[in-house]
Amino acid sequence: MKARPARPTTADLFAAPTHAAPADTGAVRSVEALPPQAPVQPRAKQLWYAVVFADLAALEASAQRERLCLSAQSFTPWVSIELPNALLLEIQGSVHLFGSLQALHAAIDAAWTRCALPAHSAIAPTTLAALWCARAGRQVRIDEPRLLPGNLAELPIGCTGWGGEWLQTLHAMGVTRLGEVLRLPRDGLARRLSPAAVRDLDMALARQSAPRRAFVPRERFRERLDFETEVESVVYLQKALEPVVERCACFLRRRQAGVQSLELRLRHRVIAMTSIRVGLAGITSDRCRLRDVLHERLTRLELPAAVRGMGLHSGMLLPLPADSLDAFAGLRGDGRAGNRAPQLVERLRARLGAGAVYGIIPVPEHRPECAWQRVHELPGRSADPQVGDMPRPIWLLEAPLLLAADALTLSGQGLILAPGPERIESGWWDGRDVARDYYRARNPLGAHWWVFQERHTRCWYLHGVFA
Amino acid sequence: MASLIEVLLETTGLGEVQLFLPALLACQQRASGENPWLVWIAPPHEPYAPALAQQGIDLSHLLVVRPATAIEALWAAEQALHSGVCAVVMLWLQGSDERWLRRLKLAAEAGGALGVLFRPDRHRFESSPANVRLLLTRGTSADRVGEASLELIKVQGGRPGPIECRP
Repeated sequence: MKARPARPTTADLFAAPTHAAPADTGAVRSVEALPPQAPVQPRAKQLWYAVVFADLAALEASAQRERLCLSAQSFTPWVSIELPNALLLEIQGSVHLFGSLQALHAAIDAAWTRCALPAHSAIAPTTLAALWCARAGRQVRIDEPRLLPGNLAELPIGCTGWGGEWLQTLHAMGVTRLGEVLRLPRDGLARRLSPAAVRDLDMALARQSAPRRAFVPRERFRERLDFETEVESVVYLQKALEPVVERCACFLRRRQAGVQSLELRLRHRVIAMTSIRVGLAGITSDRCRLRDVLHERLTRLELPAAVRGMGLHSGMLLPLPADSLDAFAGLRGDGRAGNRAPQLVERLRARLGAGAVYGIIPVPEHRPECAWQRVHELPGRSADPQVGDMPRPIWLLEAPLLLAADALTLSGQGLILAPGPERIESGWWDGRDVARDYYRARNPLGAHWWVFQERHTRCWYLHGVFA
Repeated sequence: MASLIEVLLETTGLGEVQLFLPALLACQQRASGENPWLVWIAPPHEPYAPALAQQGIDLSHLLVVRPATAIEALWAAEQALHSGVCAVVMLWLQGSDERWLRRLKLAAEAGGALGVLFRPDRHRFESSPANVRLLLTRGTSADRVGEASLELIKVQGGRPGPIECRP
């Protein structure tokens, strides 16, 4: 080592940091500012596999990142992303599944080879050690923490990923290998570089835990498609959409999840994008259902302009109801119809619009126009049994229709039928109060009407038809 | 059950829906779980939930569809009849051509549903593929002024004629 730190302190080598006696100089402060040197706690043994892709942009595109993480997740549930181009996998629990560490290492490496992504990988008991070895291109398998210092010593300091300033400082000190860094006094290093550098080394040597954030699969499906030429035909869009829907269904199936809404975005050259939102009657991951709904919507779509590309975005992922898992749909003898009812609703809604298909329920309320309401989630609630026994018409007019004065009484044939009036007086509290006398009546054409007389104005209104 | 019934109406309000309520009830009860849905397409007014609940209709399996055009209404009816989840599909139309009615009939047979089509009585002299055609008019006989009268104008495998009933 050419240049020792300017002010040599006690021989406080990294080999034994926990026993480091606090120096009695001003430099101590920076050491004290370090996270407390917790005694190495016995914790579950970890083993990390790090892969560093040669392509710096390997994890840049979110779709690619997602794909790589998912294939990594077939080896372990614990995957973490180290930008820009590395992944970390915790594999301790997976070793015995593959027989040996060597087999596991080869199996994971093969996954990247299949994706035609050149990469370097390494296995070590800590994340940073594995990462550094992989960055340095050493295909090592270190399975014991005590072997770490020896293995790390030969690595060039560049593999730490530290900033250029730190590396320059180290180079100025004549330090090029990690082993030399490890031999530097801790407090000196903390002062010259940063306490963070010391922490990194501790983490790499498993003296300090290194919490990492796990990769969590994205909660939405999103795929973008660009056409080589502008597309003007809806039929072509439908065709192009099919594999995307297939992948969407696959994406959902892998997560045991479904969606209740989808958004299809069509991009045009000049005008703003066309956004098509479709809702589904139930949570589903069924490819056919998703495809049918999108097809139906596209069929009645008039393209405002040629389409350059499109994107399919799923709504939030929702857990599938247990009985709708596609694998079992065909096995349930009685449930066939139950599964297809939402499909019918979806198909109708896709073409006619979401508001055009609804259910109705009675509402306990005296004013006839308020005694029912539309429901859009299906199947709706069962009917409230508390409905009166006064006659009610099958049809209710949207708004009461004012009748000419002679419509009922003067034409000879039209007449009020017994039994006479049902008085409804209600609603004074919300300003839409009614005071009406309802009758059954028959109009000159023989139709049975439900009419009322406004008690204040004495005007007659038609409100329903006994169809 | 899988058939198409056409009801020709002089005017709405003659008890034309009442006529089918027993059938709707029976279908819903018999078909519980299998294909319990009732679909009403393009009704002339809002179906009034309290009235239907009074009659015992299971409203949780009633679907009201409001298409914008006659073609969409026919399409919706075909989808519903064909789906195999509907017991009865009722459709209100002003006019339609025979080809569409034939499609509805085929869909009803394929889906095992009963299709009921309400049309104005001016279509009574057109040919129709419906299995049963009913004509509902206000009564004209002197003793029953104001009562509706029902006439069977076509029935496959039966004899047409007036029907005695008081809707």
